[in-house]
Amino acid sequence: MNAETDQTIATVGELLAHALELELESAERYRELADAMQVHNNPDVASLFHRLASYGDAHAREVKQRAAGLELPTIAPWDFKWTCPDAPESACVEDTHYLMNRCQALQLALHNENRGQLFYAGVAGSAPDPDVRFIAAEMAAEEEQHVAMLQEWLARERCRAEEPPEDLDPPNVSE
Amino acid sequence: MMTVAALRAKDYKSDIKPVWCPGCGDFAVLSALTKALAHLGLPKERAALISGIGCSSRLPAYINAYGFHGVHGRALAAASGLKAARPDLTVLAVGGDGDGFSIGGNHFLHACRRNMDMTYIVMDNEVYGMTKGQASPTTGPDWMDSKMTPHGPGVRRFQPAAIALAAGAGFIARGFSGDPSGLTRILASAIEYPGFAFVQVLSPCPTFRPDHRDWKEQVHALAAEPTGNAVEAARILQADDGMTTGILYAEELPVWQPRNQASASIVEIEEEFRL
Repeated sequence: MNAETDQTIATVGELLAHALELELESAERYRELADAMQVHNNPDVASLFHRLASYGDAHAREVKQRAAGLELPTIAPWDFKWTCPDAPESACVEDTHYLMNRCQALQLALHNENRGQLFYAGVAGSAPDPDVRFIAAEMAAEEEQHVAMLQEWLARERCRAEEPPEDLDPPNVSE
Repeated sequence: MMTVAALRAKDYKSDIKPVWCPGCGDFAVLSALTKALAHLGLPKERAALISGIGCSSRLPAYINAYGFHGVHGRALAAASGLKAARPDLTVLAVGGDGDGFSIGGNHFLHACRRNMDMTYIVMDNEVYGMTKGQASPTTGPDWMDSKMTPHGPGVRRFQPAAIALAAGAGFIARGFSGDPSGLTRILASAIEYPGFAFVQVLSPCPTFRPDHRDWKEQVHALAAEPTGNAVEAARILQADDGMTTGILYAEELPVWQPRNQASASIVEIEEEFRL
């Protein structure tokens, strides 16, 4: 996020460049988290993150199809007009832990989808170009569907407040 | 500003899975660094990452470029040697606060004053993580969570940025892993800087320093433009709380690069040392 620059998304190409980055980064981050969970012997959450990464891949393909024939601007990593410190659907690394469970992972994903929805809704409400507003509104609606899907998924998981799981190999061993 | 970059960050990532704990700030540094390399369009075969020992010193293995995971505290020594022999390479030394400021502290001072054209990234988590959580040079005096220092280290913190300035570094910056975009920008600027560029990255350790979760509320961007005035930089750094992010000082200084021409052949050198 760069508060010093104009945060207005002016063209359809610029919007789609943001959308593509958002999905690619999201997929890459989930894949990275899946690898980390695999390394730390949490295969259940690793497979869930892999599944979420595959959704990001699929959404990135959809954006690419939508952008076919358009020349998208290439934007420096720090010049994306996100309203949060990173791409909206990229899970915050520090919100993860090797003992996290599926419910916590899904809540993280839900948080990301909510941020994505807010980003598009913000563009839909502020862009000067009507085409940008229209597409952003469509994307915001899609993100709403993703939010609803994750909420249903969370409901199926029957998450409940639990004691933290026992760490069989705790990092803080006696010196 | 729109710029052109043909490569993506993932093109610079190797196929080795990081062993860092989930939640470790070093993941964000890896991400920011690969984004900076992609943005700069640096060919993989033109970059070399040199490290010492520690959690963060594993980073070269995760990047698809030349790398050397060396000896504890000696990343800068190895990196300087590489830069002397191969000035055409973009050399990046990486590591942690213990590796860089304790075991490698002397190399740090002289790398700053030598001013070879390289970038030094220190992922500062204020703890020795790999050896299970002992106080490092940047640990606060009252940190009592290690059995090695049950009453706290009791000594003042090492001040990396101020010491780098005093030792003669021309580029000094501080980033935060929780601000990936800002960190990427700093790293790109450091790599482009012609000389020794030092970047201290506040990179939380979720395992041994869970108190670092507060950093997100504590970091704050430098309110002014980067200064090229060493006196002004000293004033900023002396008044600093250690949580100011941004390019704290940038001034172009004469770069030291040894002559490349060999003054003797290997045979002649061997002859000289023959017993």
